[in-house]
Amino acid sequence: MADTTKIVSKIHIKGTIQEVWREITKTGEIQKSMFNMQLHTDGLAPGAQIRMRTKNGKYTGVVGEVLEFDPPNRYVHTFRFTNFDDPYCTVSYDLREANGGVDFTLTSEKVPVGTKTEKQMRQGGDWIVKTLKSVVETGKPGMGVRMLYVLFKLMEPMSPKSTLTSNWPLEKSVT
Amino acid sequence: MSEQPETMDLVFRALGHPGRRRILDIVKNRPGCCVNDVCDSFSMSRIGVMKHLRLLEDATLIVSEKEGRARKLYHNAVPIQMIYDRWTTEYSSFWAGRMTKIKYRVEEKDERNG
Repeated sequence: MADTTKIVSKIHIKGTIQEVWREITKTGEIQKSMFNMQLHTDGLAPGAQIRMRTKNGKYTGVVGEVLEFDPPNRYVHTFRFTNFDDPYCTVSYDLREANGGVDFTLTSEKVPVGTKTEKQMRQGGDWIVKTLKSVVETGKPGMGVRMLYVLFKLMEPMSPKSTLTSNWPLEKSVT
Repeated sequence: MSEQPETMDLVFRALGHPGRRRILDIVKNRPGCCVNDVCDSFSMSRIGVMKHLRLLEDATLIVSEKEGRARKLYHNAVPIQMIYDRWTTEYSSFWAGRMTKIKYRVEEKDERNG
């Protein structure tokens, strides 16, 4: 088996634990801290399927399965980018009330070393925690992130075929 | 993004010491290493290393996790990313990035020749 690594990103957010929990688990609207994707699931509980899809539902960027779901403290799921042919990683979100706010830790485990997935996870972890901080504290992502989302939207039609939602129905288990 | 001054103070204080920067290098290159692994790379006492690790953890530059009996250390890039976000723009980071690349390349060459 290939070498794997673990990546940890941690940040303190001024807000309530419920607000942060809602941001990472809400469905039916886009998650501004998760690359403007929308969470689709057949019910957030261990064994449930999850998909991160674009707003129009046409493309699916991330697929996985829920391993742990313990509101409002811990959420763990398997994770794979649909555009890379890498093995599944495990992503955990840990929330803890501290110093009048929330300590939020995002941990990626079993990340295959030297893959595109590793590169994306390294940048993605820091990106998600700092954008989540901004969304909870100010109601929106920072300027640079907002600009990038406009770019994402423009580039959406160029997404590879492997990311088409028709390839990733919720009814079909991914693991 | 609102500033949490106390956090930034902790980050700069933690970074303002060559030993702590060295510890950060070690942990960054070896995610999941233990306190003993850090001690092995230093002539410093274990108590000294622990003191520095504490300051790095207070600044969240290092995150530790208990796994069984061992305490494993991970580098957290977020505080440094926030410093970067605050004082660079897309434009300045592009040019500054090119400048530092030139510096690294030239200095690396000098080291090889030197």
